[in-house]
Formats: sequence, C-alpha cells, structure tokens
Amino acid sequence: MNAASSGPRALTLRILRSSPTEGIAPHWQDFHVEEAEGMTLFIALNEVRETLDPALQFDFVCRAGICGSCGMLINGKPGLACRSLTRDLGALITLAPLPVFELIGDLSVNTGKWMRGTAERLETWIHSSQEVDLTAVETPMEPELAEAIYELDRCIECGCCVAGCGTLRMREEFVGAIGLNKIARFRLDPRDERSDDDFYQLIGDDTGVFGCMSLLACHDVCPKGLPLQTQIAFLRRKMAASGA
Amino acid sequence: MDSSFDSSGIARPLAPVRPLPEAAARQAQAVPLRVRKSRWPARLDLLQSASGLFLALFLVGHMFFVSSILISKDAFYAVARFFEGAYFLAEPRPWLVSGVVGLVLTVFVAHAWLAMRKFPANFRQYKVFAEHKAQLRHGDTGLWWIQLWTGFALFFLGTVHLYGMLTQPELIGPYESADRIWTGNMWPLYLLLLFAVEVHGSIGLYRLALKWGWLEGRDPAATRRRLRVAKTAFSVFFLGLGLASLLAYVQLGIAHADKAGERYVPQRAAAVKLGELEFAVSRRPGG
Amino acid sequence: MRIIYTDVLVVGGGLAGLRAAVGARRRGHDVIILSLVPPKRSHSAAAQGGMQASLGNTVKGEGDNEDVHFEDTVRGSDWGCDQDVARLFVHTAPQAVRELAAWGVPWNRIKAGDREVIMDGKRVTLTEGQAAHGLIAARDFGGTKKWRTCYVSDGTGHAMLYAVSDQAVAESIPVHERMEAVALIHEGGRCHGAVVRNLVTGELTAYVAKATCIATGGFGRIYRVTSNAVINEGIGAAIALETGAACLGNMEAVQFHPTTIFPAGILVTEGCRGDGGLLKDAAGHRFMPDYEPEKKELASRDVVSRRMEEHIRAGHGVKSRFGEHLWLDITLLGAAHIDGKLREVKEICQHFLGIDPSRDLIPVRPAQHYSMGGIRTDARGHARGLKGLFACGEAACWDLHGFNRLGGNSVAETVVAGMLVGENMADFVESAAGELRVSTALVRACLDAEQAKLDTLLHGNGTESGAELMRRMQDIMTDKVGIFRTGELLHAAVEELQGLLLRSRRIGLRTRRPGGNPELVTAYRVQKMLKLALCVAYGALQRTESRGAHFREDYPRRDDASWLKRTLATWQDDFQTLPTLAYEALDVASMELPPGWRGYGARNAIEHPATAGRAAEIDAIRSAFGHADRFTVQQALMPFDHLIPARFRGRNARPGETS
Ligand SMILES: Cc1cc2nc3c(=O)[nH]c(=O)nc-3n(C[C@H](O)[C@H](O)[C@H](O)COP(=O)(O)OP(=O)(O)OC[C@H]3O[C@@H](n4cnc5c(N)ncnc54)[C@H](O)[C@@H]3O)c2cc1C
Ligand code: HEM
Ligand code: HEM
Ligand code: SF4
Ligand code: F3S
Ligand code: FES
Repeated sequence: MNAASSGPRALTLRILRSSPTEGIAPHWQDFHVEEAEGMTLFIALNEVRETLDPALQFDFVCRAGICGSCGMLINGKPGLACRSLTRDLGALITLAPLPVFELIGDLSVNTGKWMRGTAERLETWIHSSQEVDLTAVETPMEPELAEAIYELDRCIECGCCVAGCGTLRMREEFVGAIGLNKIARFRLDPRDERSDDDFYQLIGDDTGVFGCMSLLACHDVCPKGLPLQTQIAFLRRKMAASGA
Repeated sequence: MDSSFDSSGIARPLAPVRPLPEAAARQAQAVPLRVRKSRWPARLDLLQSASGLFLALFLVGHMFFVSSILISKDAFYAVARFFEGAYFLAEPRPWLVSGVVGLVLTVFVAHAWLAMRKFPANFRQYKVFAEHKAQLRHGDTGLWWIQLWTGFALFFLGTVHLYGMLTQPELIGPYESADRIWTGNMWPLYLLLLFAVEVHGSIGLYRLALKWGWLEGRDPAATRRRLRVAKTAFSVFFLGLGLASLLAYVQLGIAHADKAGERYVPQRAAAVKLGELEFAVSRRPGG
Repeated sequence: MRIIYTDVLVVGGGLAGLRAAVGARRRGHDVIILSLVPPKRSHSAAAQGGMQASLGNTVKGEGDNEDVHFEDTVRGSDWGCDQDVARLFVHTAPQAVRELAAWGVPWNRIKAGDREVIMDGKRVTLTEGQAAHGLIAARDFGGTKKWRTCYVSDGTGHAMLYAVSDQAVAESIPVHERMEAVALIHEGGRCHGAVVRNLVTGELTAYVAKATCIATGGFGRIYRVTSNAVINEGIGAAIALETGAACLGNMEAVQFHPTTIFPAGILVTEGCRGDGGLLKDAAGHRFMPDYEPEKKELASRDVVSRRMEEHIRAGHGVKSRFGEHLWLDITLLGAAHIDGKLREVKEICQHFLGIDPSRDLIPVRPAQHYSMGGIRTDARGHARGLKGLFACGEAACWDLHGFNRLGGNSVAETVVAGMLVGENMADFVESAAGELRVSTALVRACLDAEQAKLDTLLHGNGTESGAELMRRMQDIMTDKVGIFRTGELLHAAVEELQGLLLRSRRIGLRTRRPGGNPELVTAYRVQKMLKLALCVAYGALQRTESRGAHFREDYPRRDDASWLKRTLATWQDDFQTLPTLAYEALDVASMELPPGWRGYGARNAIEHPATAGRAAEIDAIRSAFGHADRFTVQQALMPFDHLIPARFRGRNARPGETS
C-alpha cells in the first residue's frame, strides 16, 4: 500500500535447501522475487517454484491459515507461511524447515507422523464406555463448556509450538505444548470418562507436564492463539495434586 | 506404545496390521493393565518449586537483614546477635546460626539437585538449546537461559558463602563481615553472588508464578506483562539494596583494614535507638 | 514389485474417507487410508459455517424435520438431485451430528432465555425455551426454511475432522500419508485397488483391496479463482474417469460461493450472512432485496453469486487495482459475536486483508467453491460401471446436490455418506462378490504402465511446461466456464482445453529426480486435470438450459422437458480429447417432490410432461392417507428404507416431537 512511489521492493528469499533422499545436506540458497501487493509467503514461494526452481519443496494446503500445513521458520521464528504477508517482513527473508520433525526436503517436514505418534501416545480421543443411541436426543451440555472445549480444540497441529519449545528441542521425547493442550482439552470434556489418575498415567512425568520448563515460546508463537500458558499451568496443578 | 503409523512406507514394507478388534480394545482399556505410574515426578516438581520459593523468600529477608548495616553498625550487630538467639536465650549461641545455615544449605543443595535435572544433559542438548535461543530471540526462553547460568554460578558462589557462614557463624558482625569482605578479599565473590542470586531469584519467582498459574486473573496476558514489570522491579530493588550494603561493608572494611580481625563492640549500648531491641542490646555478651 | 493387501482401501483422509474407514473397521475389516497430506490437513478442515441436520432444537428450527430438510435440499438442487439419496441423507444427518457429539465435537449449544440476533438487518430478540438448554444449536443458512445448520463457532469442519480423525486413530487404522493414488487397478468391470505413488520417494506401490473407496474431495483447482485448497485437484475423480468403466456425473455443475475475500479467494463463511451480515455495493447500498425480495442475502448460493455478478456488471462494483468487488458488511453483528462465532473470519480478515471485520467492510466476490459433480454412484455409494469401487464425499456424485448444493449440506454429506458407505463396503467385502480374485500379472501390468508414464515425463524429450499448462487451464476455466456461461465462450474453452490436453502429452521436466519432485507432480496431475476440465466445459456446452449453478445466458430457463437428466462422462480411450457424454434421465414419476419453483431465483422453468401427472398422484396419495403420520405418507410416496443400513434405520427423536 505504501510503496507506490518507490516501486515494488526486491525481496530475497534465503531458503534452507536439502534433500535427505538424495543425500543433499542443508545449505542456504537465495532467490529473488519482486514484491506484489498483498503478497504472502505462499504466493512468493509458488512464484519461486514456477519461475526459478521447479524442484523446491514446501507444503501448503488451505493457504488460509486453517490447516496447519505450512509451518516453517520465518526469520528464525516458527509461523504459518501462508498467512505471513511479505510487507510485514524485511527485504531479506530467511526460511527454514521446522526443526524436530523428520525432514522431507527443503521446507517440507513430516509433521503428520509426529502428530499421529502424539495422538497414539496420549490417546487423544473420547474414551467412553457407553454405546450412544444415535436416534435419541443428545445429552445436553452447558453452552459455555462447549465453547471452552472449542477454545482448546482449535489447535491445527501446525507444530509451531513444538518447534518453538527449547525443552522439546533438547529432549525430543517431551510431549510439548500441543500434547499437553490435547490432554487439557479431553480433560475438560465430560464425554471423556478418564479421570485425573488416567491422565497422570499419560503425562505425569518429565516427558509430560513436569518436563515443561515454562519457556512459553509455545504460547507466544501459536498462530491460533491457544491459551497454552494457562492450560499447561492448570494441568500442572491438577497433575501435581493427583501425584502428590 | 506400538505405533500403527507409517508415514509413507519409506522405511519398511507395509504389511496390513491387525489391531485389536474394537471391542477387545475397549476391554483392554477398561481394565487398567498398566503399572501405576510413579508419583515421584509430581513430588519432585513440587519440591523444586517449593525449594526455590523458600530460597527466594529467605533471600528477601536475608537482604533486609544484611542491609541493616546501612542503618548503623549497631543495627547490624543487633540483627546478627538476634539470630544467635541473644534475645531469648541467656546467651547468644552461634551454632544456632550454623543450624539455620545448615537448613538453608540443605534446601540449597536439594534445590540445586532438583534443578540440575533440567540442565542440558549433554553437549548436544546444550548446543541445540543455545542455537534455538539465538534463532528464536524469545524473551522467556532467554530468561530460562539466564536462570540456568546464574543457577550454575550460584552453585559455586553460594556454596563458598554458605560454607563460610556454616563454619564461622560467630564471625558475623559489622567489623567481622567488613573485614571478611575487604581485607579477606571476598567482595568480588559477593558482587558476583549478589548479581547472580538477585537475577536468579527474581526470574525464578516470575517463572514460578507462570508455571503454576498464580495470579492469572481474567486476562493472563496482562498479568504476565505486569509480572514482568514486577520481576524487573524486584531485581532492581534488591540489587540496589545489596550494592549499597556491599559498598557500606567495603567502606567500613577499608576504614577498619588496619585493625582487621578486631571484633565489634557496640559503642553506646544504652543509647542505641532501636526500638524494642534497645533492651536486648544492652545485654550483649561481653559488653 | 511392492504389493500391499487389505480388505478395504480408502483413498482420501478427509471427513468422508475417515468416516467410511471407521465404519468398515468397526465391522472388523482391515482398512488402510491413503492421503496426500496428514488427514487432519484435508480440506474438510476448512469448512467453517456448519453442518445441516434437522434436529429442530432452536426456536427458529421448531417444526423442522426430515421432510423440511428434504424439500430444501431438492429445491436447492434445482431438482437435479437423486431424491432417494436426499431422503437417505436427511434421515441419517441427525444421527451423524449426534454421533459426532458423542465423539467429542464441541457443537455450540443453546442457552435458554433471551438472545439478540440480527435478522434482515434488524435486531430481533429470540427466546429459547428451558427444555432446549444445552442442546445442539443451529444457525441460519442460505436456501433453508428453518435454522438447521449445526455449528462449532466458524470452525465446524475443523472440529468434525479432528473428532473423526481421532476415532480413526482410536481404531488403529493406518493412514499412509503423502501417498497418491495415480491409477485404479481394474479388469472386467471389477476394481481391485490402486497404484499409489509415494510423494516423498517417488516409488510406486500397488494396494490391492476387496473394496476401494474414493473420497478425494473436490477438484476446484481446475479454476484459477477458487476457495479450494491447493490439493483439491480432483485426481481421485480423474483416475476413476481414466478407467473408462466408471463415469463422472454432472461435472458441469460447479458451485460458486458468493463471499470469498477479494482477490485472494479465501472463503468467509455463509454463516456471516446467516448470522445477519449484508451485501453492499460501491454506493453502500444493500442490493440483494432488489433482486430477491424474499430470501435476500439468504437465497441459495447459485442465486446470490449470480446476482452479485449481475450487480457488478450493472456498474455497481467497487473498483480496485485487481478488478471489481462488492462488500460484505458484518459490522452490525458486533465485536462480541464476531469474536465468539466468527473467529476464523476475523483471523482471515486480519491476516490477509489487514482489516477488522467488526469495524470494516470485507471486500468479496464469488469464486469457484464446490464440485457437485464427481464419480457417479448408486444410492449405496457403489460406483456405476466398476464393481468394488465406492465413492463418497465431494469426490462422488452420489447425487445429493444436483445442480446446487446448499451450504452446510456438504460436510453433512461427507459423514452421512461415510457412515453408509462404510457399512455398504463391509457388506460387500463380506459378500461373495467381495472375494479377492486378482492376478499378480494384472497388478504388475498396472504398475508397469504407470511407471512407464512417469518415466516418459522424467526422461522423455517433451518441451511443454506443466506449470504453464496448469495456469492456462485455470485461466480458461475461470474466464470461460464461470458463473455466466454462453455457448460461444464454452465452445472456445473446449477448443482451447483440447489444445492444452494435446500439449500435455509433451511435457518435459527440468528436474529429473523421481521422488520429492513437485514439477513431476504438476506434470502428471495437469494431464489428469485437463480431462476433468474438459468434462466440465464440454458438459456445460452440451447442456443447453440453466439449472442451479449451471447458468447459460443463451438458455436462461430451466428446461425440465429436455434436461431433467444427469450428464455422465466417460473417457474410454486415452487418446480421446473429449469425454464421451451420456445422459441418465431422472424419473419424475417416482419423485416425492416433482419439479416446481424453488422459492427464490427465476420462475421460468419449462415443465416436464410428467410433472403434472405426478403432482396429481401425490395429491391423491396425501388425501388418501388423511391423518396418517408423516412417515406413513412418506413411505407411500417414495419408500427408501431398504437403502438404509439396518443400524441407521431408527427414527430420529426431537425434543418437540412425539412419535
Ligand atoms: C473454504 C470451504 C468452506 C466450506 N465450508 C463448508 C461448510 O461450512 N459447510 C459444508 O457443509 N461444507 C462446506 N464446504 C464443503 C466441504 O468442506 C467439502 O465439500 C468437504 O469437506 C469435502 O470432504 P471430503 O472428505 O469429500 O474431501 P476432503 O476433505 O477434501 O478430503 C480429500 C482427501 O483426499 C485425499 N486425496 C486427494 N486426492 C488423493 C489421491 N489421489 N490419493 C490419495 N489421497 C488423495 C486428500 O489428501 C484428503 O485427505 C466448504 C468447502 C470449502 C472449500
Ligand atoms: C546451586 C544453586 C542453584 C542452582 C543450580 C539453581 C538452578 C535453578 C534452575 C536451573 C532453575 C530452573 C528450573 C526449571 O526451569 O524448572 C531454578 C529455579 C528456581 N530457582 Fe534456583 N538454583 C540455585 C539456587 C537458587 C537460589 C539461591 C534461589 C533463591 C533465590 C533459587 C530460586 C529459584 C526459584 C524461585 C526457581 C523457580 C522454581 C521452579 O521453576 O520450580 N535458586 N534454579
Ligand atoms: C542462613 C544462611 C545465610 C546466612 C547466615 C548468611 C549471612 C550473610 C551475612 C552475614 C552476610 C554479610 C557478609 C558477610 O558477613 O560475609 C551475607 C551477605 C550475602 N549473602 Fe548471605 N547468608 C546466608 C545465606 C545466603 C544464601 C543462600 C545466599 C544466596 C545464594 C546468600 C547471598 C548473600 C549475598 C549476595 C550477600 C552479599 C550481600 C550484599 O551485597 O549486601 N546468602 N550473608
Ligand atoms: S498449539 Fe498452536 S502452535 Fe501448537 S500445534 Fe496447535 S495451533 Fe500449532
Ligand atoms: S515452550 Fe516448552 S517448556 Fe513448556 S511452556 Fe511451552 S512447552
Ligand atoms: S496452508 Fe493451511 S495453514 Fe498455511
């Protein structure tokens, strides 16, 4: 909007390239594109791929900040590339794949595998012993409670919190904020019959809630603004009470 | 847990896995087959925080006591004797101080041991964290790093100080302390110790509040901002107080350097204006 | 030769695929899901507004039931849908919502007492009864008589997808991610699975299955301006087409959503209008009442989109650097409502437009949104022409939506179809027809054929650029096969697309590595996508009437007399440059709701000769049954119970209903 007088900026995308399948070690490579109005990193990266290097790997799905596919390190910070406007960034933009997750190539990492592992480890589904009668009127739920659950359900598994957590980077067996948030979500849900003792089984140790060192980068980088700080603290209290 | 996941079949050929039938899986969940998890992680985490909190609160008191030198030599003298039980026992007993020191030392060691679990366990972890921190440039991550290093420093600095207090509890007094600090060349250690402990303690308290969700209130983000301000104020205040006291000791130490080793004797016992302490001071030993 | 055997292969990890997989798995069969991306990233996650099901819990939903939902759906489809399927669907949708509730979807709930809402631009107070407190709430959506769209703020699809995906994890169903089905293995009208390419390593694997289900979502990416995700390229539908045996139904029926942000094309939900948002023009004038005095902003999507484009053509658009647009005004809903119920919309506005929708107007313009067409199946989800192949979700033409789908009916379709198809596949696998009889020679031949195609691309001496062809195709589709269609434009589009198809056989690559090669992926996909584009354009060219989303300026009337039929496209020979089109007539005589006026939009249809007769018949049946309950009457009009799997046959209870 501003640069009408000075003409479009020339952007440099400095991308950490690699290809594990071909044994190409990580190295930086610069690409130059001309900034356009309303340009996001999604647009910029696609332009690079279409015009400069058709082999460049990256992941986008919804390109609307909804699906969590496009997490990457943007100038060192984890974020969603699809909704990062270039006008909010400098003329030199460094892009690197999220750490922790298995590297597929260039900016693409295997978050899916990690997330599935977390889901299995933490059993992130409703545990209920009742067979529901689908034709019967549903069990009522307080509107506020439903909203509170949704608040925690909004996680898009983008992995930004994982990549932002120093603890997790040191100790990869740590469940991370996303895992803790999932537990908080199911704990809140009355349809899940698990008790605090059951949850303690899952996260009551130093790979779980007690491993969190309250670095809070998770909270600060979460693109969906999940209340990770307060949820982890809350779980810590509950789990400490359950364990003490 | 056995993962049924295979991202892409790169690693191993995929054979169709046959998991537990649904009903059987339900059954398996209903019966708690798992060994009950140890309660210790919870307790250790609580202990870590409790010990940190104790030390931090202890230090608040400690800094006020030590800074009584800013009021007067006699004031500090009175405080020192107070802790030797001078005011409720017939006679001051320095081993009482040793006892307190012993207790603090125990907590100190316990805290250090508990906290050390959080240290990077090896060089790889250390390097990963250092790189991560440099890349992320994130406030609270940086604070932890500071706490790590100050804690590490405290390990040595605090131990030296506590050892001194443990073994020579009777050598606490205006001249005794000043001589130790100046003539005994302890001031550099104290200077470092002061910075380390105030920074460590204030960050520790701040992080403690976030860790357990104290004072969250309606707007946790605003609380966090306020806590940050409080943390800085805490550091600044106690650093100021500590530096002033240390300076007072140093000055006293310089002035007293030629008579180093001399024990302090309150000059005008009866005249000391210390409120209710006045009575007690007059009964100082050997006075 | 890598072969993986399983009972059921589900291609697609969106809502439809996951739900179908869970169903088959619960019946005790081995299931493997394939997905291009982690399942929770499927485009189902992007559904914002909600899911229709006639729970009838809210005051504005009082009196709602299957019958009302059925009529809305049929009218919405402009009578293009399969009415059996619509019945099946409206019957099962409430069960689907309730199942999802039990699986953890945090549906918004009703709060008893007074509540202010915006309706038709005015503040209105609604009072919810005490009995409804805590039951699943619903919002208003376009083309519906009742408030029927159940929602989770504006992250409905996300919440649903996560719940169903977590169930799939609970059932230990393996999901093979970053795996793309590139061809179906079939012989003699029987499908045996798929040839699958590993997107990371480039390796091909044959997945051999007793039943194969395609649930690969829509194909919006054949258009340039679309609300669809970048992976919605329709490869699932394309590989069915390429069998030459299966066929694609109604490919010309493409929906354009009225409100995608301009120019990015990112959707803001219909819930914006459902909750009271208004459409305005350059002058700030609310123009929809001028065109649609009854439903106004809440007419069905095809109608609203057309009116918007019409209004822009009439010179009332807002001019901007990228072209013209209109405004969506939700400021009147207030910040509290937007923060609570339209948060994704708010985030999208913030991040992509830098505006705050509680204070600023949102620039919007219609964009391609939904593919009503897809793999033609019967009411059980079994693909026509290929035994053992099933399809569900947006990839299928089960034909719930006809020529226009109602908002909120699609995510509902995915789970409902998933529930039904899961059962039906299990039945099939357990039946004699489901026996696995496939020779490894066939499997090898299929693998080799696919490998050869990839090798030609990788090592051949082609000179065309896949990305370039893709761009051209998308431009053609958006410019010439859009909201307003004419014979002339369509003719040009078909010509050009054929040219592109020929060129696509000569694509050459710069990057020759077999795996992790996006250029290669674009190359083989554009070859397939061009076929889909041709099905759409050619089908649209042939259909000389206007129905639902298919609007021909040169044939503006709905013509039931000659066009009450479904287009079926096949592609028997790889060297064809046009699909073979056939037509399947809709049987007016068995319809529960014979063709008529939709209640909005134009009122100029050419009547089908059988319509009057059927209408009289229906009247007779109704009066004959006098005071019989609605179920009995419905049974008499158009029985459909036999199509419902036994476990979903029960009658849906509603709070206000005694039966
Ligand atoms: C922005 C937006 C908002 C919407 N909002 C609503 C709404 O509010 N209400 C509503 O009812 N509907 C809505 N819809 C429509 C609805 O979301 C979709 O129609 C529906 O979710 C489609 O689900 P699906 O399971 O069929 O496909 P998808 O969710 O698209 O899933 C397709 C799956 O197939 C996989 N796949 C694709 N091709 C292959 C291949 N070749 N090999 C292997 N796997 C493959 C993908 O990885 C993916 O997992 C919306 C659509 C959009 C675009
Ligand atoms: C040998 C000396 C010490 C070492 C090695 C040490 C180390 C640490 C470390 C590494 C932490 C961070 C733990 C975590 O992130 O979970 C910590 C926390 C803390 N420390 Fe220390 N520390 C020492 C002494 C002290 C002292 C003297 C005080 C008193 C001021 C103190 C107060 C705290 C507090 C309040 C916390 C926060 C507790 C928590 O996070 O649970 N520490 N310490
Ligand atoms: C019961 C235990 C303790 C006793 C009795 C004690 C006593 C004292 C005394 C008497 C002094 C004055 C200087 C001197 O005489 O050497 C002093 C100074 C100091 N102590 Fe302690 N101390 C104790 C524990 C601690 C601990 C645990 C710490 C932190 C790790 C600490 C940090 C300091 C610091 C930083 C100073 C310098 C103060 C200044 O700069 O004003 N002390 N302490
Ligand atoms: S908690 Fe936030 S940052 Fe972490 S995965 Fe979920 S959405 Fe991403
Ligand atoms: S950054 Fe990591 S240490 Fe805890 S508070 Fe967040 S999970
Ligand atoms: S592409 Fe979906 S969040 Fe960025």
